[in-house]
Amino acid sequence: MGAIIVLLGIIAFIVLVIVVMYNGLVGKKNTTENAFAGIDTMLKKRYDLIPNLVATVQQYMQHEKSTLTQVTEMRARAMAGGMSNDEKVALDNQISKAIGGIMVAVENYPDLKASENFDQLQRTMTEIEEQISAARRAYNAAITAYNNGIEMFPTNILAGMMNYKRKEVFVIPEVQRENVDVKDLFSK
Amino acid sequence: MDLQKSKQLYPFYVKELVPEIELLEQDRKKIVKKMTIIGLVLAALVIPFFFIVDEIGTMIFPVIIAAVIFGWILHYSSRDYASDFKDSVLQKIVAYIDPSLVYTPTMSISEGQFMQSGIFRKGIDEFDGDDYVEGKIGATKIEFSEIHAQYETRDSKGRTSHHTIFKGLFFIGDFNKHFSGDTYVLPDQAERLLGGLGGMLQGVSKKYGELVKLEDPVFEKEFVVYSEDQIEARYILSPALMERITKFKQKSGSRISMSFKGSKVYVAIPFAKNLFEPKIFSTILDFKPVKEFFDDFALTIDIVEDLNLNTRIWTKK
Repeated sequence: MGAIIVLLGIIAFIVLVIVVMYNGLVGKKNTTENAFAGIDTMLKKRYDLIPNLVATVQQYMQHEKSTLTQVTEMRARAMAGGMSNDEKVALDNQISKAIGGIMVAVENYPDLKASENFDQLQRTMTEIEEQISAARRAYNAAITAYNNGIEMFPTNILAGMMNYKRKEVFVIPEVQRENVDVKDLFSK
Repeated sequence: MDLQKSKQLYPFYVKELVPEIELLEQDRKKIVKKMTIIGLVLAALVIPFFFIVDEIGTMIFPVIIAAVIFGWILHYSSRDYASDFKDSVLQKIVAYIDPSLVYTPTMSISEGQFMQSGIFRKGIDEFDGDDYVEGKIGATKIEFSEIHAQYETRDSKGRTSHHTIFKGLFFIGDFNKHFSGDTYVLPDQAERLLGGLGGMLQGVSKKYGELVKLEDPVFEKEFVVYSEDQIEARYILSPALMERITKFKQKSGSRISMSFKGSKVYVAIPFAKNLFEPKIFSTILDFKPVKEFFDDFALTIDIVEDLNLNTRIWTKK
């Protein structure tokens, strides 16, 4: 009788451990998805700002019309949705580069640079950029926790059975690390 | 603050402070004389007891009573002197650091503000503070003071004893970014003591919100971060700010705690010593204590620069 109770106890304990590990892994996976949604929200905030940016700068920037149109187009594509996460990231990198170019080109237009409207816009842009970067860091932290769960013992055994695969952390793409070549951007 | 201020402190001390201190030094000497007489009288009253009683337990009593009387008289007779010292010397030191700052020796950060920070959650039974400084450094509004917050416990015999919740400098500054949730940066006790296991335990407690794991290893070793919002916590604690906080911690040499709440940053810097109090039994006509007062004020005022709070490139101007 006593042996049965002990055995049942052990089984109950093992089941409990498995449940905790299983829930932990599912929780980590969901956190990564949630964290990507966080990046998405921040990116959308930036997309929302693009019409405002274009409207503010276009009356001053006569020479950069094509870049402005390009940014607007890219925004429309981003807003349309139906893209995979990788595509979203790639498109966003292009948008970042273009916006960066516009911000640098503003240096050539002192009137625009001095305007109250643009100052506010630039502050909002800086803020959003930093929020996007924060969202990416949050995503990377979530991915790291998830990857650790998948690779560390003993959760790795369970993760293998659940068919959970390693996910990649965000790396800043090469294009963004380079300095923006404005001349190249506007000569297109 | 620019290095120049620190370098120019000695000439400033000689020119501006020495005349003031010389006046105060006379008061101090009078107090010392008075206290010496009182001390001798008390000793004359106590010593005979040593010959009457021979039990150590009972011998202690008159000594304690004499010490309490001595301390009490010292406190009351040096009160005016301390307040004169603050009004003249400390006032000038604060104004020297930044003329826009207002120093009020008798005021302090309120208990409400202290609790508002959310850093300390224990119920307060006794709250004291003084040496309040308020003003604007560049675009950043700041205020700070010395604080001593305590709680009481009663033992089975009904004796109360006081325990410190926080003692030191408490700083409140306007933060340069907008945010909506609460984020806490606390000293990392668990991880230092228990290593990885401590790290796991930190996630269990939800008292301050969710645990935020940050990527700066030096910062992570010193601090533990909790927040209501993972993204916002990272928006506030940019890689640059984490580095600055770590540096500030080293500079202060103290186990600092911080919170980011309601568009403000709260910094609690514990100090064992009683800050901004002039000495009675050693001369104040000395650059060393002046330098110490200056350093303690500057440490707190420089939080604005050390944390880069005057950088206003975001929507909050």
